[in-house]
Amino acid sequence: MTTEMQIDSYLTALRLHLGPLTIAEREEIVREIGAHIRDSVDSGASVESVLSRLGPAEELAAQYREGFLIRKSSRSISPLVLLRGALRLATKSVSGIFVFTCGLFGYSLGAGLLFVALAKIIAPSHTGAWVRDGRLVGAGAFEYGYPPQAHEVLGLWIIPLALTLGSLLLLLTNYLIRTSLRLSQRWQSKL
Amino acid sequence: MAIQRAQPVEGDQPDRWEAQLRKGAVEMAALASLWQGRLYGLEIIRFLERHSQLALAEGTIYPILNRLKAEGLLTSEWVESEAGHPRKYYSLTSAGRQRLLQMAEAWTSFSGGLSRLLEPVLTNKEKHQ
Repeated sequence: MTTEMQIDSYLTALRLHLGPLTIAEREEIVREIGAHIRDSVDSGASVESVLSRLGPAEELAAQYREGFLIRKSSRSISPLVLLRGALRLATKSVSGIFVFTCGLFGYSLGAGLLFVALAKIIAPSHTGAWVRDGRLVGAGAFEYGYPPQAHEVLGLWIIPLALTLGSLLLLLTNYLIRTSLRLSQRWQSKL
Repeated sequence: MAIQRAQPVEGDQPDRWEAQLRKGAVEMAALASLWQGRLYGLEIIRFLERHSQLALAEGTIYPILNRLKAEGLLTSEWVESEAGHPRKYYSLTSAGRQRLLQMAEAWTSFSGGLSRLLEPVLTNKEKHQ
């Protein structure tokens, strides 16, 4: 194999493993590593030694990919992308597991509240907050109607209340995950 | 040290600790290499080899530069060279300069404090030998 072929096959492998990055980012990395290899070879090093000092293309790509996903998701506002970023964080640290669990909880509860607001519009008699003997006995949307001997307390007010609380909770959860992802980048860079 | 290394589990720890320490220093070192002006990747690697005993796998420096750039501490530009291909030059942004200054101060006070702490340990070692 000629030197040029060895370089090409290394760069091809690198490009392949940089999959999730944007094309522009990927090409820039490949171009930079290509320049590094050619400069090193030009200065008298053998291509084998240059490539071995760079390490396997797969591992090099993995180091680039590492920061990319978390960085990308910390800029997103989509709960799915944020949760995926939090999941990645959870594989790395205990505080990551905490963030992911809080995220999951916050999104479920937020979405649940929005669902209650919607359900009150569609099936008003099956949705609400009920009180019996001064204690809350049920709140939400019930398939078989509300609990016996209880009376509803919020009425239609549950719609704006659930909408507001649900949205606030979703926004708060977004904020929590984004902040954690940002901070984790800083911790990572300090480590 | 020799006794510790003979134990399989604990013996690995000093090495791993040193590896972590090096890893943490590389980022600061990369920023510091650009203090005087712009350099491209290979120049940064050679600069670090020359000015510190920070022997590092070349594969690790590029992803670090990439991350520092994403954090806004570095900028980069492609410059044509006489070698026939362009090279990617990095330079510090003002945020990068500021961060490096903070790092340098923290590092110096930290290592100064630790050196004083370790002084008796090293003096003792000489007595023991």
